[in-house]
Amino acid sequence: MRQRQGLIALAFLAPALVCLAVLRIVPAISAVVESFYTESLLRGGRVFTGLSNYTDLLGSKDFRQSVGVTLLFTVLVNPIQVMVSFLLAVLFTQKAAGSKLWRTLVILPIATPPAVSAVIWSVIYRPDGLGNGVLQRLGLPAQPFLTSPNQVLPSLIVLLSWIGVGYWMLFLIAGIQEVPVEVREAALLDGAGPWRRMISVILPLVRRPLAFVLVADTVSNLLVFAPVQILTKGGPNGNSNLLMYDVYNRAYAIGDIHVANAEVVILVVLTLAIVAGQFRLLRGDQ
Amino acid sequence: MRRNLFALPAVAVAAALLLAGCGGSSGGNGSGSTTADPGPETGTITFTGTDNAETYQPVIKAFEAKNPGIKVTYTQIPFDQFNATMQQRLSAKDTGIDVYTVDEPRVSQLAAKGFLTDLSDLDGKVKGSFTKAAYETNHFRDKLWSLPMWNSTQYLFYNKTALAKAKVTPPTADPQQRWTWEQVEAAGRKSMQAGGTKYGLFMEQPEAYYQLQPLAESLGGGSGITGDDALTPAIETDGWKKAMQWYGATFASGLSPRGIGGFQTGPVFSNGDVAFFVGGPWDLKIFGSSKIDWGVAPLPYFQGGKPVTPTGSWSLGINPASKQQGMARKFIEFATLDPAGNLATTSTTTIIPANLDAQKQYTPKMDAFSGAKTVGAAAITAYESEHTAVSRPVSVGYIQFEEVLGKAFADIRNGTNSDQRLQQATQQLNDAWKTIK
Repeated sequence: MRQRQGLIALAFLAPALVCLAVLRIVPAISAVVESFYTESLLRGGRVFTGLSNYTDLLGSKDFRQSVGVTLLFTVLVNPIQVMVSFLLAVLFTQKAAGSKLWRTLVILPIATPPAVSAVIWSVIYRPDGLGNGVLQRLGLPAQPFLTSPNQVLPSLIVLLSWIGVGYWMLFLIAGIQEVPVEVREAALLDGAGPWRRMISVILPLVRRPLAFVLVADTVSNLLVFAPVQILTKGGPNGNSNLLMYDVYNRAYAIGDIHVANAEVVILVVLTLAIVAGQFRLLRGDQ
Repeated sequence: MRRNLFALPAVAVAAALLLAGCGGSSGGNGSGSTTADPGPETGTITFTGTDNAETYQPVIKAFEAKNPGIKVTYTQIPFDQFNATMQQRLSAKDTGIDVYTVDEPRVSQLAAKGFLTDLSDLDGKVKGSFTKAAYETNHFRDKLWSLPMWNSTQYLFYNKTALAKAKVTPPTADPQQRWTWEQVEAAGRKSMQAGGTKYGLFMEQPEAYYQLQPLAESLGGGSGITGDDALTPAIETDGWKKAMQWYGATFASGLSPRGIGGFQTGPVFSNGDVAFFVGGPWDLKIFGSSKIDWGVAPLPYFQGGKPVTPTGSWSLGINPASKQQGMARKFIEFATLDPAGNLATTSTTTIIPANLDAQKQYTPKMDAFSGAKTVGAAAITAYESEHTAVSRPVSVGYIQFEEVLGKAFADIRNGTNSDQRLQQATQQLNDAWKTIK
């Protein structure tokens, strides 16, 4: 009986498992395998080269810069996005006039595809664009935004946060609404102020959704691609050359699919290491 | 520990997602194609290119009228993504593409990768129908891989109103009295001071090799590629260095604007924000709807250098993975070798037909594309094609060359020291070409 149940369960799961294998696992294995080969355009033929694609990558200044830029980006963008999402979530769970409307406005950018958002922001960031128009009205000097090696990464972070913050906020709002009313009332009766209630009551109680948001946000930010492709092409001077874009560039613009495969393997390892580190930190607090 | 349970699948999925993004096929094997099965005689073929669908409507209509039973559907992929997308789809042996537009300097690499069907049996016909330059650029290893569809050149467009306001006598259309870049720069600055324009000079594709090659070539800097196998970078010659120093300075001084790219450049001229604009034959009609008064002059050169203009454009090729080789071939022959078909490709977008018979009928009409504004365009076009046109280099590494230089030009535009950036680009080219050799 039990065995039959197992077979039925397997039959129901089969479509998902087949898709998982065909769409995810096979390409993943193929990427790892291909990363050990190289191919000459002039002579043709695929040759096994062991780790040479990896050593070439590690020896390349451009690749090392790309890793550096990606790490810097990760360290900056995730805390900013998680913190802003949390603050917005707290704000929009207050019973205040129009909070639902505001909430909708913050979530709205999710409905815009990243590519479209990037195009909109390209108009904002143009030297003669909306951004500098606003700065001028405020009496501030014009900024180079995407054309400056120092401002390009912060500019991308602002753009990506505009898209992402509303999305992550949704998870945290759900978490905050799960906090039992009695706990909040108890804190209120004990005379805790709004700041104290947020830090000492709500924050510890939404740690689970917060941990999810942190990890999922980190992974999604390691995969940022469209805005880089559309707005900066990795420049100026490689200062926005995030790994995912570099992988794409190597595979489809430069056309070296084998080195690109090696790079994607490195990106996965890096992602796993960062996420594992985050879990360790979160567990350490337990 | 329970707290972490959700994480394992999340991490696994993330890892799989990442890997899947880049997995897949490993491209062609470089052997080219054998005689392919022509496939069915009627049906629908797909044609992929970068231009708006309207551009190809006339040629598709004419072809369908002449070949009952064959339909052609056109798919547009924007220019910025075209090369990368095609690379991806062709290497996956996508049968959903029968015919596609081929940028001429990319013919060698596309052929080497096995992304083009061998068309050598048409060699004799092609030799008589196109210029020598067009005939040669569509060859690789003595075989013909694509058929030239269009040709191009570049002009200097000028804002008549602004120059008059700044009391500058505008350049003439006479190639013998061609302006130098130094003259353009001085006049552009006057226009910024007194002519009411925000900028003095702007190029339509400010980060494209196609438009910047003539700057270096005018100073004798060469194409940037050298060596027997055309896989040795040569972008640190005096000509290249001087040209790029000048180019970077035009942005640093505000003569040209930073941060405006892609297809946002043309409107800068048609809105009257710049005195001089470097653009192609297509602009002869596009700018016709502009409210400003403008004129057209030959592309400038550097003082002490020689006049050099870009040339070449799109060819048509067939995807070897196509299951409809016969119909695909009929279509590309009609659109290039048949003068009427070739002319039809140029009736919506103004671009020079590559077929010589078509060209003879087409060029004289260019003077009237935008009334009095385009007077002289025909003579300039004929002169440049005969005397100053220099093709982009034929190299199996051209794709990498163009990508690497495009990024270098972008950085130089944004203020990076040009000598150092060219040196870095040389290094990047050596790295990228190492895997080709």
